[in-house]
Amino acid sequence: MRSRDGNRTLSCRFCTLVLLSSLALNASEYLISYRYVVKNAILYNETLQISKAMQKCIGIPQTSLLLQQKNSKDIQKIIYNHMNEFITYIQKIGINVEHKEKNTNYQNSSTTILTMHTRCFKVDFNDNFAKITALK
Amino acid sequence: MKYSLLLSALLSSAAFSATVQTVQRPPQASTIQVVCPTGTCTSKPAIHKDVLPINSSLRIDVIGQGVAPTNTSSPAQAYALAKRAATADAYRLIAEKVKGVRIEGDDLIKNMMVQRSTVRTTVKAMVRNANVVETTFKDGLCEVEMEIVLSHADFAR
Repeated sequence: MRSRDGNRTLSCRFCTLVLLSSLALNASEYLISYRYVVKNAILYNETLQISKAMQKCIGIPQTSLLLQQKNSKDIQKIIYNHMNEFITYIQKIGINVEHKEKNTNYQNSSTTILTMHTRCFKVDFNDNFAKITALK
Repeated sequence: MKYSLLLSALLSSAAFSATVQTVQRPPQASTIQVVCPTGTCTSKPAIHKDVLPINSSLRIDVIGQGVAPTNTSSPAQAYALAKRAATADAYRLIAEKVKGVRIEGDDLIKNMMVQRSTVRTTVKAMVRNANVVETTFKDGLCEVEMEIVLSHADFAR
């Protein structure tokens, strides 16, 4: 015998499916790398590269960063608007430090390179926020 | 013949007693006892203790320094660039403290005189979970105070 609320369950399932699929469509994955060079205590070069992932990333989500945005889905624009926050986030995740120092006849010169190797980030776009999550 | 038999019996008994002694030795403690060379030992031998025992944490504070380039277009840009340089310096100091520094030195001596003296130091590390505590910018010099809290689990991974 068919239950009375059979149609209701069906509609609920349909709504959930639509909601989940819309959320999944809003989420996208990006490959981000960051590197900066400091020579003799002066910033020499800084590079932040962002590109959309062509393949699905596999990994466990790490801590997330929420960035405020106004109906924009351009991740580059959002990150450049919140550059300091994003770099602090990257540094928190983990950054490679490489330092070389040379002292010749009591004259010192140094080069420090901070690198975040190319890493996959999942980005969820909501109405006012973009949620960036590093995958490990 | 009798003497040889007696000697072999004595040796076997000594060996057996030695093995028994080693079996009955109590389990070793976690601390490692350092044996000093002859003549340099004090009355109490030095005991090597773990730097970071289990269930304890170690906080490391550093102050990195950075300078703004001369060709900046605004004071804000100068501050931002100097801060980046200071952050890199702070990371380098943390890496130096936690992981260590590789040092190489060369001295070129010619006709009993030092012609060239070179010291090269390198640091390579991966730093995560470091926090910026305070940033100051004065007279073109930016100082970033950074801290990192290390726990035993970080090394036991």
